[in-house]
Amino acid sequence: MPNKNGKVYGLTILSPIIDDDQATPSHDLQIREYLATMPTGEQSPFALAPGTHLARLVVMDDVIYVGMPACEEHLKSKYLVFETNCDSDLEGYMSGLAASVPEQLNAIWSHCVGYPGAADQKAFIGYMKACQIETTFFFAAINDKSVPETLRALQTQRAVTDFVANHQGMEPAQLQREFAQFVTELKSEPLLKAASMGPHRDIKTGGRNE
Amino acid sequence: MSKLNETDIQGFVLRGYNLPLARYIFLHFEDPTRARGLVSRLLHEVTTGQRWDGGKPESTVNIAFTHRGLSAMDLPDATLLSFPVEFQQGMKKRAGILGDTGLNSPERWDDLWREDRVHAWLGVNAVSPETLESRCAKMLGLLQQGDGATVLSSQDAASVVIDGKPTTREHFGFTDGFGNPDYLGVDRSSQPGQGKLMPNGTWAPLATGELLLGYADEAGELPVAPVPHLLASNGTFMVYRKLHQNLATFRAYLHDHAGLYGGGPEKLAAKFLGRWRDGTPLELSPDQPDPSIAQDPNRSTNFTYGADPAGTRCPIGAHIRRVHPRDAFGFNGRLINRRRITRRGLPYGRFVAEGQPASDAEDRGVIFMALNASISRQFEFVQQQWIEYGNDAHLGNDKDILMGNHGGRGRFVLQGDASPANPPLICSSLPNFVELRGGDYFFLPSITALGMISMGLVDPR
Repeated sequence: MPNKNGKVYGLTILSPIIDDDQATPSHDLQIREYLATMPTGEQSPFALAPGTHLARLVVMDDVIYVGMPACEEHLKSKYLVFETNCDSDLEGYMSGLAASVPEQLNAIWSHCVGYPGAADQKAFIGYMKACQIETTFFFAAINDKSVPETLRALQTQRAVTDFVANHQGMEPAQLQREFAQFVTELKSEPLLKAASMGPHRDIKTGGRNE
Repeated sequence: MSKLNETDIQGFVLRGYNLPLARYIFLHFEDPTRARGLVSRLLHEVTTGQRWDGGKPESTVNIAFTHRGLSAMDLPDATLLSFPVEFQQGMKKRAGILGDTGLNSPERWDDLWREDRVHAWLGVNAVSPETLESRCAKMLGLLQQGDGATVLSSQDAASVVIDGKPTTREHFGFTDGFGNPDYLGVDRSSQPGQGKLMPNGTWAPLATGELLLGYADEAGELPVAPVPHLLASNGTFMVYRKLHQNLATFRAYLHDHAGLYGGGPEKLAAKFLGRWRDGTPLELSPDQPDPSIAQDPNRSTNFTYGADPAGTRCPIGAHIRRVHPRDAFGFNGRLINRRRITRRGLPYGRFVAEGQPASDAEDRGVIFMALNASISRQFEFVQQQWIEYGNDAHLGNDKDILMGNHGGRGRFVLQGDASPANPPLICSSLPNFVELRGGDYFFLPSITALGMISMGLVDPR
């Protein structure tokens, strides 16, 4: 079945970018500019809105045939490609985005043909559905857990490691008391924000090496 | 695969000399013609990879250049611009990518490396102090002749001597130098565990192009190399890093945490590294060092981690398991075959035996030199992903306990089991046991390429 693997939804959206030779800079360049400066950490719109495991936005200009003899082919339009692994289904995820980060969505998609804006959620979801294509193969290493479950697990792992590190060698009765208290406190801890637990990086490109 | 032309390859590339003393002399070129004249004179001195049928030489000489140095010898722009980006930039500009920040950041490096003046590395290895001095005196004579180059600084390094004998120990007391890979065509007494893991569990040499430019690499491609081909072929890239060791901090940390650890201080040290201090791999002997394994070439590097997925023998974050994961990432080890490096180098500074007073302030550490065909794909990847990050090993943000730039944060999880002699432990508030004091990226040309450079024959067309 496309789009779904366990709890995780694989979403691919192709939105045609407005082709207007009067626009300077062109709409595709305006999207590129916005994406180039978009935060990737806790302030990323995909961290602020619920349900994103990972997301990627790409401006696809055209297709290029690499080979010999050269073969010229073109897309009918430039496209904004939006790929994400997310919780729930398209409608639930999209309404979460529209409610949480409408300004960011509008800043990106207002350069796309027929985009109705995020304020009218029904129209917004209808638009995204119209742009959706089937996703048959997507990043799978998510352990079939939701984003909140994953964040809770990471938070628990970190807290338990810290607890162990700070209590090694403690006398058993006291250790048990402190552990009971720790468990109670941990359960009432608010969930940490998405992207808040990653390492601090001076480079924005993550694992990329160039 | 034909045999390599060993007389065209610098000996430093093909073999660890196992000579106990070294001096690395750093040069600055004032004038392109005079610099090329110097290379021409040095050409007669450079030690090649030719077999030592007549016995081992008493001293060796090798040479390598920074991108700035190649530029100072007036190589054509079309050649200079064809070098890989990371080599053109040099190590300092790669600090962000390498995690060389905070205590390891370039503003804290030795003056030599902050000033962007190093053009060449002249490496002299020798069997005795007298031989080293006489060979270096000869080199200085050649340098002064015709004002070929200015000596900016030099770095002495030497095997740690214990009980009057040179050893392969480093200052923390670990036996070093086990992990160098075998390569196709390189004539070397190889031992199982040093190449790449094959599906049937045996070990085979890595493709030559993982070490030398001009040969197919593990992807079946020629490595990215400068033009012309003849300049690149039989050459390689060298990473030079002066790694200061905070010996007092290391010993104090080990002592403090051994109190919390039921396995004792020696086992704790072994868990940090993945080998006992005598070199015995934890994977083969988790409970005590075993000299019969450490000294047996058929066993000392012949192991995998597949039977120890939880890290109860060798911790998942132990240094040697991080930097050479063997089969630990699955797929018969294929994910690591393009991330291997060849290490050269020696300790520097005075060795202080266990129990004797030591200070972090004393100048002491390891001159780390890594050879690889692609600095970005090999050394930089290992440094960024396996030393300064833990994701590939499923260790989250944790860094290599010994090499990591922890800055007082971070942690090391030592997996254990239910037995009292092998308990788990979590080490936190990690200091920097090792600090970077500088270094750079060098190109180690072939003998032919040195000739082309000296004669002004480098022609990219």
